[in-house]
Amino acid sequence: MHGWMGQILRVDLTAKTWRREAFTEEFAHTWIGGRGFAVKLLYDELLPGIDPLGPENKLVVAVGPISGISAPNTGKTVVAAKSPMTGGYGDGNLGTRVTEKLRKAGYDALIIEGRAEAPTLLYIDDEKVEFLPADEIWGKGTYETNDWIYARYGKGAGVLNIGQAGENLVRYAVIRSMEGRAGGRPGMGAVMGSKLLKAIVVKGSRPIPQAFPAEMKVLGRDDLRAVHALDQKSGWSKQGTTGVLPWCNEVAALPVDNFRRTHHPEAWKVDGERLEAATVAVYGCPNCTMQCGIAMHDDRGRESELDYENMGLLGPNLGLFDIAQVATLNYMCDDYGIDTISGGGVLGFYADAVARGAAPGSLRFGDFKGFEAVLTAIAHRDGEVGDILAEGTLRAARAFGHGSEEYAMQCKGLEVSAYNCKFIPGMALAFGVSPIGAHHKESWIISYEIQQTPRESYGRDKAQKVVDLQRIRGGLFEAIVSCRFPWIEEGWGLEHYPKYFNAVTGLEWQLEDFWPSSDRIYALIKLFWLREFPDTDRKADYPPHAWFDPANADTEGPIAGKILEYDKYDSLLQHYYDIRGYDRRGIPTRETLERLGLAAEARAAEAFAALS
Amino acid sequence: MKITLRVIGGLALRLGFTAQEREVPPGTTAGLLLADLGIGDPQTVITTRNGWGIAPDEVLEAGDRILVSPPFSGG
Repeated sequence: MHGWMGQILRVDLTAKTWRREAFTEEFAHTWIGGRGFAVKLLYDELLPGIDPLGPENKLVVAVGPISGISAPNTGKTVVAAKSPMTGGYGDGNLGTRVTEKLRKAGYDALIIEGRAEAPTLLYIDDEKVEFLPADEIWGKGTYETNDWIYARYGKGAGVLNIGQAGENLVRYAVIRSMEGRAGGRPGMGAVMGSKLLKAIVVKGSRPIPQAFPAEMKVLGRDDLRAVHALDQKSGWSKQGTTGVLPWCNEVAALPVDNFRRTHHPEAWKVDGERLEAATVAVYGCPNCTMQCGIAMHDDRGRESELDYENMGLLGPNLGLFDIAQVATLNYMCDDYGIDTISGGGVLGFYADAVARGAAPGSLRFGDFKGFEAVLTAIAHRDGEVGDILAEGTLRAARAFGHGSEEYAMQCKGLEVSAYNCKFIPGMALAFGVSPIGAHHKESWIISYEIQQTPRESYGRDKAQKVVDLQRIRGGLFEAIVSCRFPWIEEGWGLEHYPKYFNAVTGLEWQLEDFWPSSDRIYALIKLFWLREFPDTDRKADYPPHAWFDPANADTEGPIAGKILEYDKYDSLLQHYYDIRGYDRRGIPTRETLERLGLAAEARAAEAFAALS
Repeated sequence: MKITLRVIGGLALRLGFTAQEREVPPGTTAGLLLADLGIGDPQTVITTRNGWGIAPDEVLEAGDRILVSPPFSGG
């Protein structure tokens, strides 16, 4: 079998044992890798109803067939588990040297089970697997942890680690890797923390089996150069994703004051132009020639790597328009290992709840020092408020009460990314049907919606576009495991990816051949959720109530007086279900599941809930 | 007539400015404005007028606030 190492490493932290397990060619071709491997393994191995922060949960680290190959943007890894935030399937991807090293150690995936007795560093080096004490770094932030690891294992080692937030089971703790890289928004860092697993260090030296290595070498080298040339021409990486902030402000899609407002006259103070002017370093993932990890000094002189999501949610969403202050909150999130999107969402929600008398405290929008203090309390679960907010927006709203759930900006328990959809129906749908809870990575339809179709429309074309984008972004890119940015930002065509895939696997897949795999992955994720929530219905795919509340409509600006409408959203959602072959609850029908080759998985699901 | 024009992201680097007041003849369409900027294919950028999408054949009006953005796929 070319392209895959053909082995999974299974590690039991409780017993301190490990073993290699071979997988079949059929498994590889059906699930491809990354998210595909992760959801299949978790669906087969996790019993519904387990505590996501208990030893029964499993953390999967998975790469894809082109991972670690020298080709554009192949340096990412997927981390997945049952989510402590949502109770459903959770995953994320992050750039890391683990991608290449895990493959070179001989594996396409790592399954971590059980719970260590004491803080542990899992060390993998080709044949070797060791469970090493991590007491020295337990309690440390991710930057200090990374430095400690680099000092012992060298900067070339692959590293995944957590900060204090993961250790303290903050439900939206992420896993961190190198420099500003982070992944696993739905609490993958908390899952690591629950296992007392502080870090994973990977080294490897084996060749990655490729069907046509000589051709791949030339193709990869030429294409890395080509993407770099495109970026030189486009100038995209000068501002990276932060370039989109003024656009969101212009089209009234920026989150301001817990999404209460959609634009702000001072937004320009925290935009990509300001970041570009303040740049002190640029970082990127392995195998990237369009690096977007743009770092500036925060208000204490520390390097903080900013992107649009953390700029939007830790800036305007908190009423903050001093870019150095935003950089400070971002640095703190990164160091504690807190997801910046959920972190910003939770802080904004809390300030809103205080303002409305629903929550105790004196925090106000714009109170930088106040946000610093609350963020620190969250990371350590200090005090009653810190402890409540460490649970995420939805649980915090339920704890505070007083109707605050109506402005908890989340879907399925995961906070909304930095796109304010008061009057962007398709993007609201994209958040609603994102398979891990509200997240933009699956389907970023917003530019299509503004530019190519009437914004106010709830037409079937928008549902189709969401599905099309999910197939590409959440299916293809998450399974082969590659960054999506070259595709749109640099105009690097999708036709390149089957070329890499075929060169390493020896297969002859066309782009269209990936779509059934993509649909299969989405359908199985739905079954994972169904097993956990057998009484689920279409309301689970609704975005936050605040986007439908006429009292919350803008009073000035481009969308003054406009707001989403429930009945129209529901019809848009139905279009999505119809296209996907899902029933009225949003669950794939038996016919759909059989068409996707999921008959056995459907039977397993039927032990918990009926299928249509 | 006068409009305000803003370009963002890498596009500003290419065009050499970020914002300007611009005099355009009455009847100028969004597509003509883009062509003036050296952007031959309107589909390669995202163009808005006063916060709403504008098609290449739509005629500009005095006082319009036009923003031209390179393609993005999110943060």
